[in-house]
Amino acid sequence: MRIWRVVLLVDLALVLGLAAGYLWWGQQARRLANELQAARAVAAVSPGGEREYRATGVVRAGLPDLGILVITHGDIPGYMPAMTMGFRTTSPTIVESVSPGDEVRFTLRGTPPNLAITAIDKTAP
Amino acid sequence: MGEVAGLLARWLHLASSIFLVGGAALLLIARPSDRPTARRWESWILTACRVLVLAALGSAIATVAYQTAVLEERWAAALEPAALARMLTRTQAGNVWLARGGLLVLLAAFLAIRAEVRDRADWRALRGQAALLGLVALGLVAAAGHAAAVEPGAAAAITADVVHLAAAGLWIGGLPALALLLWLAGRRAGADARPYAVLAARRFSRVALALVGALAVSGLWSAWVQIASVAGLLGTRHGNLLLVKLVTFAAMLVLATLNRRLIPALGGEAHSVGRPAMRRLSRVVAAEASLAVLVLAIVAAMTVTPPARHEQPTWPLSFRLTLDNLGSAPDLASQVLVGSQVAVLGVVALLASLALRRLRLPVLAGGAVVLVAGGAIAVPPLVSDAYPTTYRRPDVAYQAASIADGRRLFDAHCAVCHGPQAAGDGPAAATLQPRPPDLRASHVALHTAGDIFWWITNGRPPMPAFGDRLDVDARWHLINYLRALAAGDAARLLGPTIEPERPWLVAPDFTFNVGPEYSRSLREYRGRRIVLLVLYTLPASAPRLGELAEAYGLLASLEVEILAVPTDAAPDAIRRLAGGPPIFYPVVTDGARAIVEAYRLFAPAPHAEFLIDRQGYLRAIVAAPDAPQRDPGRLLAEVERLNEETVTPPPPDEHVH
Repeated sequence: MRIWRVVLLVDLALVLGLAAGYLWWGQQARRLANELQAARAVAAVSPGGEREYRATGVVRAGLPDLGILVITHGDIPGYMPAMTMGFRTTSPTIVESVSPGDEVRFTLRGTPPNLAITAIDKTAP
Repeated sequence: MGEVAGLLARWLHLASSIFLVGGAALLLIARPSDRPTARRWESWILTACRVLVLAALGSAIATVAYQTAVLEERWAAALEPAALARMLTRTQAGNVWLARGGLLVLLAAFLAIRAEVRDRADWRALRGQAALLGLVALGLVAAAGHAAAVEPGAAAAITADVVHLAAAGLWIGGLPALALLLWLAGRRAGADARPYAVLAARRFSRVALALVGALAVSGLWSAWVQIASVAGLLGTRHGNLLLVKLVTFAAMLVLATLNRRLIPALGGEAHSVGRPAMRRLSRVVAAEASLAVLVLAIVAAMTVTPPARHEQPTWPLSFRLTLDNLGSAPDLASQVLVGSQVAVLGVVALLASLALRRLRLPVLAGGAVVLVAGGAIAVPPLVSDAYPTTYRRPDVAYQAASIADGRRLFDAHCAVCHGPQAAGDGPAAATLQPRPPDLRASHVALHTAGDIFWWITNGRPPMPAFGDRLDVDARWHLINYLRALAAGDAARLLGPTIEPERPWLVAPDFTFNVGPEYSRSLREYRGRRIVLLVLYTLPASAPRLGELAEAYGLLASLEVEILAVPTDAAPDAIRRLAGGPPIFYPVVTDGARAIVEAYRLFAPAPHAEFLIDRQGYLRAIVAAPDAPQRDPGRLLAEVERLNEETVTPPPPDEHVH
């Protein structure tokens, strides 16, 4: 075989090899990112419904007519980052037991996203 | 010891890779010949390429071992197979080294073919393959260098480096091979190859002209990305190395132009030259090639030096040039304008002298005189004093907490002379000569933060040095306080309505807590929300807070966040607001003291509202002495105007005066 043909074949193989290597390399990074995301998703929503979270925060307002407490809370790992939002409560006494400004520790229970506060304690007077 | 070995390995690798590419490419450029001397030269170059590819592989292994040791932070790791495998398979640089190693091995295999090639196509394929593989292996270096770490825009930086490396490989890599050919042809026995050598040199010089252009453009681009400032160029190791490289490169260019002018044959006017001219040419090219080796050593040193943009520059001169001086002095501005135009005239004369044949010397001399005169008129107004720390970036961010600390330090150490408000009217000021200046005045903005850092550290008679009394952070706190003082002075220009499209006053960053775990900083809203910062005093502010609470839903839908900060820094702030309408926006329970201290410099009122745009600029201030009454509709109108603005990109991060 003529040398230039050999060179051409080697170059073609090289281009294919480098392209395949580059794609594989990119895929590797994407696969790792996907795995991480999947693992996070699994950690966030375990199958089979009911979950329980504990969190701390400060009470901003109580809406007894609606049975809702507005709380500025810290990060709830696996559920939501720190924010101010309203939570439903399972009993009217929960809303009445705290007042705005109270620092509290509370328990959320239910099937995400349908969670409600089942228990609440003041952590600071 | 280890560092020197690592540097040597890099140099050897870079030099062998570049000379490999250049040698192989020059064979292609010169084309095959059947003159005995030319054939001898070709076989010498091939032998050199075989040696170079082995050197490149060997130095690659040494460099990988060195990098492994650096990554693992122990020298023994350089010889551990497990550590080496980790480096090669788990890091981007390692993957690139693997790919390059494979290419070099393939290249070595091609070079090992010693077949006598007669056919032209085969000859081209074989020699071209050597140049191509060498070029790809060389270009890949860019994917593992500083350029790969540029964020954002790594692709552009890598492309610039690939172009730079390839152009360097083809041009300076070819110089030793060319020198060898010219030397062979310049010997008594080499007369048969002289026309061939002249032809090769002419072709090479044509290619080189284009390559030098590519080198300059890609080099400028990389320098812009990696160094980005005069301070970086003059004040860091990386920048200084680049300067040395540029000087060496300029010397090479001078030699290259000498070649073109000394040897008319290179201009295409003759087919061959005599022996003396050939020998002179070979000597000049050999000198160029040895400068190239020097350039490569500098480049190797640059690859192991952190890029200038990551370093704190140390300004080496006692002055700097700045346009800031001109703002307050129109007569200086016109002086600079006149001077610069005289200088331009001089440059035009210099350029014209190149085109002239007669009268060249007088025009040249006249142009030079005019240029110097123009410089002498234009430059002096631009000169400012400068110090080693002039371009130092602040170590402490412009933050409310730092400003508050700075204020305490100022009261303790500085107020006795500079006065409680830094107006230069402290109790001890009268005894001083010169008197302390008013630090709030606009002239303070003419100095960099680094200038002030230098004065605080080393003193400025009659001011004593504080370098031994205040640590580095404390000195930056003071500078942040001074910056806030000046900004607060300027903030008097801000009213309750915004000036569209004109952000200019940076809002100091701050961190705050709402309750035990909710912690945020102002920065986190940047690019996302407009922030209405409300400093309030109870009970007078209660109605206003209730109004804002009712408008909060509407404001949130316009992407506004309200941050309410009690001026008495009450930890039970939320409870104390409990009586009125429910308030859902963040009420700061922790961090309020620093925010109040810093922002009181901008509006010293019991109730103050600050409208901060998405870029982090203060845009409007409402300060009310007692019961604040304001129609929420007016706030909504301001927000609407902010939302209509085109967003100006640069957030005020490094913006320092």
